Amino acid sequence: MAQHALQPPAEPPSTLQSRVIDDDRRQRPGAHRQRSDVDRTDEARTDASTFDADGLVIGYPGLDEPVVADASICLPPGEVTALVGPNGSGKSTLLGGLADQITPEAGTVHVDGTKLTELGDKELAKKLGLLSQENVSPGALTVEELVGHGRYPHRGFFEAMTTEDQEAIDRAISLAGVDHLRERDLGQLSGGQAQLAWIAMVLAQETDVLLLDEPTTFLDLHHQLEVMDIVRTLRDEWGITVVLVLHDIDQAARFADYMVALDDGEVYASGRPGDVVTEELLADVFGVEARVGQGDHGPRITPLRALEDEET
Amino acid sequence: MAERPTPTTGGEQSDGSGDDGGPIGRLTSRVGSHVAWIDRSLVGLCLASTLVVVLAGFVQVRYGSYDMRIGEVFWAVLDPNVLLDPRWMLNFLVGEDLMRAITGFEGELPELPPETLIVWTIRLPRVFVAVLVGMNLALSGAIFQAVTRNELASPYILGVSSGAGLAILLTLVMYAGLAAYLPIIAAAGGALAFLIVYAIAWQHGTSPVRLVLAGVIVGTVFQSLQTALFFFADDIGVVQTAIQWTTGSLTGVEWEEARIVLPWSIVVVALALAGARQLNVLQLGERTASSLGMNVERMRFGLSGIAVLAASASIAVAGIVSFVGLIVPHVVRSVVGSDYKKIVVGCLFVGPALMVAADVGARLFFPVVMDVQKQMPVGIVTGLIGGPYFLYMMRRKNLGEI
Repeated sequence: MAQHALQPPAEPPSTLQSRVIDDDRRQRPGAHRQRSDVDRTDEARTDASTFDADGLVIGYPGLDEPVVADASICLPPGEVTALVGPNGSGKSTLLGGLADQITPEAGTVHVDGTKLTELGDKELAKKLGLLSQENVSPGALTVEELVGHGRYPHRGFFEAMTTEDQEAIDRAISLAGVDHLRERDLGQLSGGQAQLAWIAMVLAQETDVLLLDEPTTFLDLHHQLEVMDIVRTLRDEWGITVVLVLHDIDQAARFADYMVALDDGEVYASGRPGDVVTEELLADVFGVEARVGQGDHGPRITPLRALEDEET
Repeated sequence: MAERPTPTTGGEQSDGSGDDGGPIGRLTSRVGSHVAWIDRSLVGLCLASTLVVVLAGFVQVRYGSYDMRIGEVFWAVLDPNVLLDPRWMLNFLVGEDLMRAITGFEGELPELPPETLIVWTIRLPRVFVAVLVGMNLALSGAIFQAVTRNELASPYILGVSSGAGLAILLTLVMYAGLAAYLPIIAAAGGALAFLIVYAIAWQHGTSPVRLVLAGVIVGTVFQSLQTALFFFADDIGVVQTAIQWTTGSLTGVEWEEARIVLPWSIVVVALALAGARQLNVLQLGERTASSLGMNVERMRFGLSGIAVLAASASIAVAGIVSFVGLIVPHVVRSVVGSDYKKIVVGCLFVGPALMVAADVGARLFFPVVMDVQKQMPVGIVTGLIGGPYFLYMMRRKNLGEI
């Protein structure tokens, strides 16, 4: 039943997909609006980094069963991929494994054809950025200082900040829309503002691949949309391959180009949102009876009721 | 990798690359960005601490069994016969043998007036050692507080004090012949205990909580062994020496002790200043530090090593002085904030201030107030200051914030 190791579809995006992207364009002012979707996708494909995992098995010491069992995914370069699944399905663990923060028991992850484990710590951090789910910081740290730490992998032990570092920091702050908060202490910010500051920090890392663990959870609607807007800018203008863990499958279906649904540590399905989000998946993976209709922005889910747990 | 266009959101960046004020403008802006983090609160803190060191040092130098008038003190401290004579200065700072090797001087050093001799050979070295010990302890505590992400961590949290204490007791009670090497033995005992703590905490890597717990385990066992060893000490003199070492004392400290602690202090200060940015990144949490490309385990061990070196160096000359390494980073943090660049610099000044001031109490309380010719271990004074300070912290802030 589970479909492992799905390759990203080689054919141009379906009409459904085009509509989503079209709509995105309308909301966002930018020089790229006039280009066609196929152009964008092609360009992104050629420039962006490839990122794939093969047969990942990830567990924690002290647990008998691995949390992620034999996950193989090939992420479409230069697109936004959403990892979805119910609580405890291993989304964050898989993301940790993809970022080489948790050492997998088996399997490999490649970025641009290079094995992650062959890269040095700082080399890896220049290719791949990861924003964890919960971030702690000393309260008396300004947004600009925090973003400055994003340059860590680019600086040697004794090296001072260069003009290049400062420019990267300015770009990141500007893209994350936290210019007006630069001098403010993190302790004074709201949850949403703090999250944008943290996102600015990983942006300052200037990586080719960006992994974000539930970047929108606990944020108000305004900040959720702001975060998703940043993600789309990253895809469209910086050509970055983005992987998001999203709690909300509705949001994932609306924003992601590609989806990977996890069920109990295994890849249940992966593909375009229109193909992945089905009534069957919602019943099997999420345990809900739902209607999946066709909305203006991709599949629209109308949850009806929770299904009884079959096994436990 | 795709070319990164300048962001269009947020408008033009006017600062930075935009206007180019010529080479001089660029130079000043670069120097400016290097020292921009030095702010008024940090400078004020350093100046105030320096004032405390100078005042307390002055009291230390003036009073004692040979009291001097203020004018005499100034004249003795600033005596050009010593200050401008490299032979005397080298004699103090690197020792007589090395001085002769460097200067090629073979005769007798010129005679000094009694005031100068007392100030320079007896009283000033004690102040100087207090300054270095205060610096080391403060830095050690600051580093450990970052590494364990626990603001209640002290230089002794990872077993250093109990290891050193046990080594001191063992030497004094069992191998009295080795007493001359006590400074080295104490420092080695502390470092060994730290390694044991690390080994116990290691289980697919360490974590701050496991390190602290392992420190408690080793500390408890070693403390018991220490107490047990006291029963084997049949001489009251041995017990008193042991207590002096385990509570921390600067009594009888001379230039020789200064020469023991000085080189390590230089190393520690340099490494701490260089490591400040690493400490700042570590403050963001292990996961973030790791995803930024830091090898967290290696960095944590290296930074702990610096902190243990600092603690061991101060134990070697002053014994186990408590509370300095715990309080000073707190005081500094409450004034300058949580940036470790500032905290490290602040500790370099506040540590000596507390240590020198406390040593005034340790040395002069009994003679001046009670008219008894006896000196207290300085660790008793720092403990007496440290307890109430935490009471003040607890009342002023929410305990949860500490």
